[in-house]
Amino acid sequence: MTSLLRAEGLLEKIERAFAEISGIDTVKSLIETALTENIPPFEIIQSMREGLSTVGRKYENGEYFLSELIMSGIMAQELSKILKPHLQSSGNSVLGKVIIGTVKGDLHDIGKNLVSIMLSSVGFEIIDLGVDVPAEKFIAASGKENPDIIAMSCLLTIAMDEMKKTIDVLKQTGLRKNVKVLVGGRPITLDFAKEIGADGYGSDAIEAINAVMSALGK
Amino acid sequence: MMNKKERVMTTLDHVEPDLVPMTEISIDVPHLETITQTSLSGETSLQTQVSADRRAEMNKVATLVLAYRKLGFELIPCNLSAPDGWSSQKNPYGTMTDEWGRILSYDSKCKAWVPTDSIFAMPEDFERFPFPDPYAAGRTFAIEETKKKIGEEMALAAFIRDPFAHAWEMFKITNFTRWFYEKPDFIRRVIERITDFNIEMIKQAADAKVDLIISGGDYSEKKGPLVPVKFFKEVVFPNLRGQVEAAHKAGLKLIKHSDGNLNPILDDLANIVDGLHSLDPTAGMNIGDVKLRYGDRLVLMGNVALDNLCRKTKQEIVEETKECLRRAGPGGGYILSSSNSWYTDAKLENCLAMVDTGRRYGAYPINIS
Repeated sequence: MTSLLRAEGLLEKIERAFAEISGIDTVKSLIETALTENIPPFEIIQSMREGLSTVGRKYENGEYFLSELIMSGIMAQELSKILKPHLQSSGNSVLGKVIIGTVKGDLHDIGKNLVSIMLSSVGFEIIDLGVDVPAEKFIAASGKENPDIIAMSCLLTIAMDEMKKTIDVLKQTGLRKNVKVLVGGRPITLDFAKEIGADGYGSDAIEAINAVMSALGK
Repeated sequence: MMNKKERVMTTLDHVEPDLVPMTEISIDVPHLETITQTSLSGETSLQTQVSADRRAEMNKVATLVLAYRKLGFELIPCNLSAPDGWSSQKNPYGTMTDEWGRILSYDSKCKAWVPTDSIFAMPEDFERFPFPDPYAAGRTFAIEETKKKIGEEMALAAFIRDPFAHAWEMFKITNFTRWFYEKPDFIRRVIERITDFNIEMIKQAADAKVDLIISGGDYSEKKGPLVPVKFFKEVVFPNLRGQVEAAHKAGLKLIKHSDGNLNPILDDLANIVDGLHSLDPTAGMNIGDVKLRYGDRLVLMGNVALDNLCRKTKQEIVEETKECLRRAGPGGGYILSSSNSWYTDAKLENCLAMVDTGRRYGAYPINIS
């Protein structure tokens, strides 16, 4: 078998292992073999992303359940750690930097954490500010980190105003023009996102990834 | 005319009472305070026990009973209590740890402690964890206090936490998911252990003269079950069945609460539990369809959408409530409630409109065009 065919076979196996949620150990072994075979890390990452994309599609179709979506994200996060040193030596593959948090007045973080895992798994650098995050903290982190995206989440209707406040303060401080703002969470609608001047919205983790990609023109 | 308790017990037997009974499985503290015009002292959590301060607990029981009386509700749910002498662990940064290893933060908007983290970073942490003792004295303190106050006036439900949901809440959903795939036997064992705890709680609740068991905790999210259906069939449902059998042995029925889309597991659930709450319409649950398919064996509780209580107008809530009554009321076996609880961000005027509509249009025979 030629090395090209061998590489293609390995990459397919990696993609399939992700799509079938084969577990961290299985994929880790495949990735280590791929690195030994000198397959470029970017190609390995691409296979991971294609596998994740299949998981996302199956979740949307109802073939997969939330646990499968979360586990694929956990697998990608863990395996990205193995690939990271190789990527640093061969160029940066980070798709973008995202600051994420649940807005002030709201302590709910299940949705925010899922979005965080999924964005991280497809190649975004995540700066997670946690829960109950005031506008000032988003602004400070934004000034320091120069992110591509600020993603705000909330579950409580009464915390929604905080999203608008954060966008308003971003405008006042002149940071708004440099960053795309996305919002999500149980009470958030597309109309609300538009009304407060956000660049996009996602009703679940998969939609959030699509919204981030779309906002960044990817 | 039936009294409130008779109305619920008749409903549980799938017979039409005089009126559709109503309740909420939970009402957030700000609403409770507004309804009762009192201030609730002491630490509170809607998901767990945060204190064994019996004076505060008695105050909470009194407030809850007053609120349910004012609302005219027929059924009052009551949480288990922390054991005598227990106190939560206070942590740095203002958090506390409950008896189940959940780290709680204070939510000032809801005026309650809510789980935000977990002490379990790896399965081994659970092995070292001092598992709550079901035989510790005092776990039915609040139930007994509630019973003393209400006597036979209202039906009393003991609110327990479903073992599957309890496990993912304890470990947080990301750890739970990882261990679910990597150490399935561990997850199975945790669920079985919590089931054993719950079975003892059901026995104690029965001894304290409750009329019903309600099992909280979610099986599903908006799109469907949280884990593959196979796991429900192999692990979750046998353990649920064990609790239902314990309830039946004590002469009690068990109603299962879950948010989300339950349709993929509805057939199984209908063969195990006596009733279902919350039938969330925003997750694709249609109470009319469930009534048609399972109305002869499942008591239905729901399903005025929580999202709509938050956002819509009073008139829209009136219409939605009438629709619930029209579709689920005939034949009995129906308790009117929201599709979740009266969360802090639900508009109280909408919640009260739901109650008012229930009283206006909930007389049997249901006749809503």
